[in-house]
Amino acid sequence: MILALLDKLHGRPVWIRWGLFAAGLLVALGLPWSLYPPVATDILCWGLFAVAFDLLLGHAGLLSFGHAAFWGSSAYVTGLIALHSGLPFYVAVLGGAGAAALLALPIGFLAVRRSGIYFAMVTLAFAQMVYFIANQWGDVTGGENGLQGIPRDLPGFDLSDSFVFYYAALPVVLLGLAAAWRIAHSPFGRVIAAVRDNPARARALGYPADRYKLVVFTVSAFLSGLAGGLYAVNHGFASLQEVYWTTSGKVVVMTVLGGMGTLWGSLLGAGAIVRLEDWLSTSGFEETGLVTGGVFIVVVLLFRRGVWGTLAHALRPRSGSSTPDPEPHLEHDHGDASQPVSP
Amino acid sequence: MKHRLSTVVATAAAGALLAGCGGGGPSSGGGKISDDKIVLGVLTDLSGVYADIAGPNSVQAVQMAVDDFKKKYGDKAVTQNIEVIKADHQNKPEIANTQAREMYDRKQADALFDVPTSSAALAVQTVAGQAKKLYFNTGAATTELAGKTCNPYTYEWAYDTYMLAHGTGSAVTAQGGKNWYTIYPDYAFGQDMQKKFETAITGAGGTIVAKDPTPFPSDNYSTFLLKAPRLKPKPNVLGALQAGGDLANVVKQYEQFKLKDKGIELAIGLLFDSDIKAIGADKLAGTTFTTAWFWNVDPKAQAWADRFKERTGQRPTFVQAADYSAATHYLEAAQKAGSDKAADVSKELDGTKFSDFFAHNATIRAEDHRIVHDAYLAKVKDPAKASEPGDYTERVKTIPAAEAFDKPSPDCHLS
Repeated sequence: MILALLDKLHGRPVWIRWGLFAAGLLVALGLPWSLYPPVATDILCWGLFAVAFDLLLGHAGLLSFGHAAFWGSSAYVTGLIALHSGLPFYVAVLGGAGAAALLALPIGFLAVRRSGIYFAMVTLAFAQMVYFIANQWGDVTGGENGLQGIPRDLPGFDLSDSFVFYYAALPVVLLGLAAAWRIAHSPFGRVIAAVRDNPARARALGYPADRYKLVVFTVSAFLSGLAGGLYAVNHGFASLQEVYWTTSGKVVVMTVLGGMGTLWGSLLGAGAIVRLEDWLSTSGFEETGLVTGGVFIVVVLLFRRGVWGTLAHALRPRSGSSTPDPEPHLEHDHGDASQPVSP
Repeated sequence: MKHRLSTVVATAAAGALLAGCGGGGPSSGGGKISDDKIVLGVLTDLSGVYADIAGPNSVQAVQMAVDDFKKKYGDKAVTQNIEVIKADHQNKPEIANTQAREMYDRKQADALFDVPTSSAALAVQTVAGQAKKLYFNTGAATTELAGKTCNPYTYEWAYDTYMLAHGTGSAVTAQGGKNWYTIYPDYAFGQDMQKKFETAITGAGGTIVAKDPTPFPSDNYSTFLLKAPRLKPKPNVLGALQAGGDLANVVKQYEQFKLKDKGIELAIGLLFDSDIKAIGADKLAGTTFTTAWFWNVDPKAQAWADRFKERTGQRPTFVQAADYSAATHYLEAAQKAGSDKAADVSKELDGTKFSDFFAHNATIRAEDHRIVHDAYLAKVKDPAKASEPGDYTERVKTIPAAEAFDKPSPDCHLS
């Protein structure tokens, strides 16, 4: 089945796709060897988060500026389940992701009625509400102190070593990525793209545009929740930072850096940003925002397709006319969806 | 093709996992000093509201302890290789969590020191428990560290909220400040301060008219200062339980709102020399506060403070003095044990009684790893009587070690 799916991907020869797939898998398996394992796990979490976000931004053309609400609420719920129930951490993470999806329903229901910058502002407003609830509801969330000491429980395994935990977290992330990829390349994904490119025509063809947007919004929130829950378990900690707007901003930067609408590019973007921040903080440089912000500006100005998009564009086979342009067509969505990307 | 690929991937994965089992564990060399060196980590606020209380000078204090230790033992030292590393936690628990892990795991820190901000300290304590390495808290005051969340890897060296509240809260209430309005920063330290002050004030016959949490950190306290005179019954004491840069803001705004003229006296929960310097000794003269130590409490302390000033150009706060004291005791214990393993060092430390320039009549309680020692009820000195610009503190009375700190918490079980 995977082979059949891969065949649909662009017009490249089979061996290139298999090669890329194998290389990606090898990198994923070997990551904690070349990196400090907790950082490697962070890359997994942020990578899944960025891919989930790209599903919404790149494929549905919706720029959410409040995705921290889903990442963070899942971090808290995952933490609470793990702290109080003693269930395996997979269950806790799943519970957290479910809570994020539940939260996404009302937020998405209201937000998808708007597009472009209004959509971004509505999601930001809801995320800030979640932030203040987390801050004020100190008995449950720990407020400013955060939720501390989240255990990594898995019967039969000792996950206290971060190296081992990486391999425990990897399957969750791979499943999440597979789901995102499958959705993006399903008939449902085609409709989403149609709604993005021309909502009026999609509606005229009989597709309820808002409902499609709501579903993809919720799916994106669920996958973000998976990532956020894993992140909380990895750090043994859920804090206000997880629901703060800078977290929403960081995932936008990662996705745009990697290449909007490319899914895999978001992984690259996440890896690059996490590595860069880690490298800067260990080298004692304090203004990490200056550097990541600078990189972001350069990418937005010079490589609008992002790292992956630029590479794919340069390497695409010139002969096949069926090759889709990897650059997302955001400009058709009332022309304003692409503006808030560069805040 | 599919088959071949899956074989390759499976082999690679199996290889990766196998080698991981071999290389993942901590390497234990022949000697008892891990990695042939002792690394002391100072995790602190290098640039925020607590940078003057602890900050860069805490790093200096620990470095000074290392230098003195090397000088004392020379070739006989347990290892020649003693390093001091530092990191900034920006007073945020999530950063403290990551940085502590990083210092223990990646930079082979054997013990961490300092850590102002109670919420950050609680995060570091958790990581210390997971890493099974030591953490000497000197910067954070919450009693939870030696209570609900205590673990065998954490020592509380300097002070806590109980000490502050029972010194200041009781004394000010006994002097006639019966009706209190307390404002406290809304995180572990402030919340704990509030509870302890409430107990102390009501215990001394006073009442809390109102209490409000304030954002942390913050520069604007006008909401609370405007509210104070309108409360019924009108409070006659404003209990400011903020610390560091936040406290300086509260006191300055207390002056601007002229609350003193409206009959509301100021009581301060935690006051450091660096705060007095920032606010101005003239504004604070006569203010009662409780402290774990001050630099000219006795000649021995002063001699050390003189050396500290030579090094840094500044007088030390009690947190910095406690860092030196804790680092010295850690190194001495490692020397005696011939090891830097947490369990070996702890065995040397637990139950010890000592008096050094910082901690007088001190005991390292084996039950909860709280170091109890004499504390001081003090007053801010009239600047006219000061012997030098940094001479701020006048002792009112010594609070003996047994009274200064609470009994071991029933919530704490170390073993």
